[in-house]
Amino acid sequence: MRNFRLYLIVILALLASCREPFEPEIEPTDLNVLVVEGYLDSEGIPSVLSLSYTRPIQGESGFFPNLAGANVYLESSAGQRYNLKDIGNGSYEFKHNISESDTYTLKIFLPNGTSYSTIPLTPLITPEIIDVGFVKNETGAEIFLTTKGTSDADDFLWTYDETWAFRPAITTQYQYDPVSKNVVLRDLNNRIDLCYKTRRNSDLVLETSSRFEDQFVFRQTINQINQGDERLSVRYSILISQKALTKDASEFWEILKKNTDDLGSIFSPLPSNIRGNITQDQDPTVPVIGQVGLGKIRQERLFVDIQEVSPWLVEVEEYKECVLSSDTVLVRDYEARFKSGVNIPARPIIPDGAFNPIGYRYSSLKCVDCTQRGSNVKPDFWED
Amino acid sequence: MRKLLLLSLLCILFQTAFAQKAPPAKISGMFVGMNFDRFAARMEDESAYRFFFKADEVAEISVNLQLTNSDLKDALDQIFANTGLTYTIDTSNQVWITRGRKLSMDFPSDYFQIQERSDLVTGDSDSLDAFAKNKRFVIGRAADNPQSKTATLSGVVYSIESGQPINGAIVLEKVNYSQIVTGETGKYRLTLPKGRHTIVVQNIGGFQEQRQIDLQGDGTLDMRIEENVLSLDEFVVSSGALSNVNKLQMGVQSISIAEVKRLPAVLGEVDVIRGLLTMPGVNTVGEASVGFNVRGGAADQNLILYNQSTVFNPSHVFGFFSAFNPDMVSGVELYKGSVPVNYGGRLSSVLQVAPKFGSSEKMEVSGGIGIMTGRLSVEGPIGENTTFIVGGRTTYSNWALDLLDDEASLNGARASFYDFNANVKHQINDKNSLEFTSYRSSDEFSFDEDTTYSYQNLNLALSWRHFFNDQLEGKFTAGYDTYDFGIIGLDNPLNSFDFKFDVKQLHLRADLEYRKSERHILKFGLHAINYQLNPGTNSPYGSESIVINKDLEDEQAREISIYFGDEFFVNEKFSLSYGGRYMLYQMYGPQTINLYVPDAPITEGNVIGEQTFKNGENVKTYHGPEFRVSGRYSLSTISSIKFGFNTMRQNLHLLSNTSAIAPTDSWKLSDTYIKPQTGGQASVGYYRNLSNNRLEFSTEFYYRYMNNILDYRSGASIILNESIEQDILNSIGKAYGVELLLKKNTGALKGSLAYTYSRSLLKTSDEPSTEKINKGDFYSSNYDQPHHVVLVANYELSKRINASVNGNYSTGRPVTLPISKFEYAGSERVYFSERNAYRIPDYFRIDVSINLEGNHKVNKLAHSSWSLGVYNVLGRSNPYSVYYTPVEGQLRGYQLSIFARPIPFITYNFRF
Repeated sequence: MRNFRLYLIVILALLASCREPFEPEIEPTDLNVLVVEGYLDSEGIPSVLSLSYTRPIQGESGFFPNLAGANVYLESSAGQRYNLKDIGNGSYEFKHNISESDTYTLKIFLPNGTSYSTIPLTPLITPEIIDVGFVKNETGAEIFLTTKGTSDADDFLWTYDETWAFRPAITTQYQYDPVSKNVVLRDLNNRIDLCYKTRRNSDLVLETSSRFEDQFVFRQTINQINQGDERLSVRYSILISQKALTKDASEFWEILKKNTDDLGSIFSPLPSNIRGNITQDQDPTVPVIGQVGLGKIRQERLFVDIQEVSPWLVEVEEYKECVLSSDTVLVRDYEARFKSGVNIPARPIIPDGAFNPIGYRYSSLKCVDCTQRGSNVKPDFWED
Repeated sequence: MRKLLLLSLLCILFQTAFAQKAPPAKISGMFVGMNFDRFAARMEDESAYRFFFKADEVAEISVNLQLTNSDLKDALDQIFANTGLTYTIDTSNQVWITRGRKLSMDFPSDYFQIQERSDLVTGDSDSLDAFAKNKRFVIGRAADNPQSKTATLSGVVYSIESGQPINGAIVLEKVNYSQIVTGETGKYRLTLPKGRHTIVVQNIGGFQEQRQIDLQGDGTLDMRIEENVLSLDEFVVSSGALSNVNKLQMGVQSISIAEVKRLPAVLGEVDVIRGLLTMPGVNTVGEASVGFNVRGGAADQNLILYNQSTVFNPSHVFGFFSAFNPDMVSGVELYKGSVPVNYGGRLSSVLQVAPKFGSSEKMEVSGGIGIMTGRLSVEGPIGENTTFIVGGRTTYSNWALDLLDDEASLNGARASFYDFNANVKHQINDKNSLEFTSYRSSDEFSFDEDTTYSYQNLNLALSWRHFFNDQLEGKFTAGYDTYDFGIIGLDNPLNSFDFKFDVKQLHLRADLEYRKSERHILKFGLHAINYQLNPGTNSPYGSESIVINKDLEDEQAREISIYFGDEFFVNEKFSLSYGGRYMLYQMYGPQTINLYVPDAPITEGNVIGEQTFKNGENVKTYHGPEFRVSGRYSLSTISSIKFGFNTMRQNLHLLSNTSAIAPTDSWKLSDTYIKPQTGGQASVGYYRNLSNNRLEFSTEFYYRYMNNILDYRSGASIILNESIEQDILNSIGKAYGVELLLKKNTGALKGSLAYTYSRSLLKTSDEPSTEKINKGDFYSSNYDQPHHVVLVANYELSKRINASVNGNYSTGRPVTLPISKFEYAGSERVYFSERNAYRIPDYFRIDVSINLEGNHKVNKLAHSSWSLGVYNVLGRSNPYSVYYTPVEGQLRGYQLSIFARPIPFITYNFRF
């Protein structure tokens, strides 16, 4: 009885076959709901508020109309204004050291004449991150974080950016020089065998510290990297941002997370209307999306090297078919074979006792050149 | 003996002689509302008979018969029964019709008739049942109370197969259609004019039996009828159809287990709740949900009773199957319109699942083997006065699993369930009997190794039935119902948790029925329930866990209702049922509640303090009446109109923020802030039998209003919420619709076609709240599906083979769709439309099945049957839900179907 699985297998078999595209006829209404995103740093470190509009669901991805030309400022309870500077693309920079005991309202005046205000905001100082680390587990490696809540800061949001170094399937120090029509060593600024890739992760990790004893959030899982993932193939870095949330902000992020992660499984909750802490002054029923935060964010960076998690066998979908050519391109064929740049010399063939190679084995650009998928410029923060 | 032989011989001679001289005078045809002149003329055309009668004597007679190869005599018996007319057929095929009483003194014409009928009986006197329909039973003594023109016939209807009293059999007198439906004890009681009658007994399944009686005084007649075997269609006066027209209640749907078994089943699991879904006004939001919606009400507004026990979660494995073992159920009845006065506590409907009791005749074992489950039950007598039945059902089995052990990808997923029933009935004496029913179901499942879900139902009830006298009958029940749910999460030793909630109720009921006279049946009684509810507990699991113990305060309350109702048969045309309940509900301590700023939205910010109540101290009292009125007016013998008005109250709520009932939905009692749901329903219906009673047609219109419905604000969190009142939006609801049903109960082709148009709308109430969904306008509820068509047809190829088809269409349920997208926190996010502004695609499904029966001999040693068929034979992907997910940076919509292709099934059933 305990091991009975036939049941689920049948059900899963049924479920597996029944996901189909769904394209409902939705009026192509451009709702133009104002979207406000930002967390303003109260200690004077430059922070950005961005304004945009929603787009129809059928619209092309990647393009979001930004809102330039708005007048945005933060106003203290005494009426003192701190301006946000329009830095283009709908972004507004905030760079003021403000008192953390006052309350503030963010005001937005759009070029179309409407204006928006947040509810009064009190700067919320996020407690320090106590520890970040990782642990190897059965399925890969888990990145975790430890912190401790306070009476003001009970709910937490963690977001993270990841950067990782990686190598192409076939590494080479060589390149074809069209001037000399010969294969030469690459110079170090033009390396294509080690690259870096950065990705802003959209995961929202939320937790309430009062669920734990003494509000001690111990080894909260931030990210799980499964065995074989390229991110740990050389060296990996994660920058974790910890934000303390007010109760209403926590709800906003909860809804955003729920509406993103959990859409339409059998028992998923009904989608919730997302609002935030901003309303239009002219008509408070007009929907506005956005939860503006004010206070101090904590960040911590962690590096994980392949040696710390090895063995780590990497499989990269893009490199699956990469092989080194079996034939050797001889000197006389260099121009014909390498001029177009599709094939890159990779392994010199040096006969016994000779100094110079008689030719090279090669592979295709996508297998050799990591800049096809990342940047070969080492980020400033990178520590080897 | 000699005399008997002589008589028989005479009889044979007589018959032979008759047969020689008479042409083969079998009559077939339909006669609806035909006057006797025309009937006689037609008989004369079609046969050698000649009729002689006085026109004024037969002027009142209207012939309503369907005949198939019948003797004229039988037809005339029917026509003249209780009219005072009698007839004689002489050897020259001349039919002499005379005013009975006068003629009987000087011309003993019906003497022959009695002789003849009695003779037929004598040959088989030891098995009276099979031939009882041809015997004329003399009931009572003419000497008793001679001045009264009426007398009372009473008795019990039993099943031949099980020896059990049959609940819900209709006992009908065929001329004036006086009728009554037997109760759980199979008892009936009819007051009729003295004289001859044909009494028809019909079981719910559509099968009928008849008895000829000569009622001379008060007396009893117990009848034994076959339950499952179809009757021989000699006379088909469809009393089922008449009962639809004539019965007092409206909005009641009955389905026998035999009917349910004929329906094509998902994976071969006979499912009573799916049977209900073939009825107008009942639908469900998804195939994987046993929760059903009646007339635009939420799923938690249905009271599901197994005998007298409330079953809180009637489903197995996420709702793929109903939790009722079909072998342990004798039938189900759903009250969706006029809820009888002896039921209360839920807003929408009452589903009465009638338990099966053991056979008093012999030990029997029955069971079945299907794709998913196996079931077995044993029943029989223990001694003279006691019967028992025990039955269980479980998933299996290890042999199949062993084959699948290598399937590594499914290592973690497991599911198992069982259910078990044991029912005992003990007849103490003529006036007292005891019934014990019990039900247990248990489920355990997990999708991965880390998280295990489990839930259990337990129901126990003991009833004592006592007949105080001929008129007063009482049933006293004590019972205990529980439901508990748990999740154990082992994802990480530090975060391992054990989450639980449960609901328990102890109930006492006294239900009395007093048949004051032939025109009044009084029902009155008292129901008391004590609720004990744990809304949720989360505790650390294992020694390493650092999860903080969170235990929501238990809730306890008592609910006491008294009721009184009268079924008043005003006259032959008009009957009225009226009554009321009064419910007192009290939540009592220990309890701590938040206090809020008065007349302001209930939010965390408006908390101004706490109030603590001591053990037993009254926290909050609600009380109020419920009214039940319904009436029937017969327009003719084949048509009637009915009306009804009900009000209901509900104190126990299911907290559910999902479109279907989810396993994690927990229960909540009414408290200081969450008021009892209240509602009312007005309905009116028209009922008519067509095509000589072979078709019954009904239409019902209804309008419902509901108050204090629970909806939830955006971002509401239901699990382990200490201040759930802050997340609930007090809402009002309305629902209205029309239901049309055309049903054919007779012939080789049986079935029904139901169409429902219904709407179900909600609106955030005007009470102060943080949010008004859809700006405070009415919006579609999650189960608002305007059009719903169900076709059920069963064709009997032979007595042993029948084929069924079931078609189901409904408008797609409402959904809230993403209509815009925006960039936030590094990703594309979606913005949703107003609540339930769109619909998923329409639902359409056809199932087919074939049932092969063994032979129908009642006394055969072992019976077996096969059911095979295909669910969703068109393989249509009926979407259950839709969702959006980014694919290559583009948001794509997907629809998820549960049974997206034809699902064949086969089940073997046996009984011996």
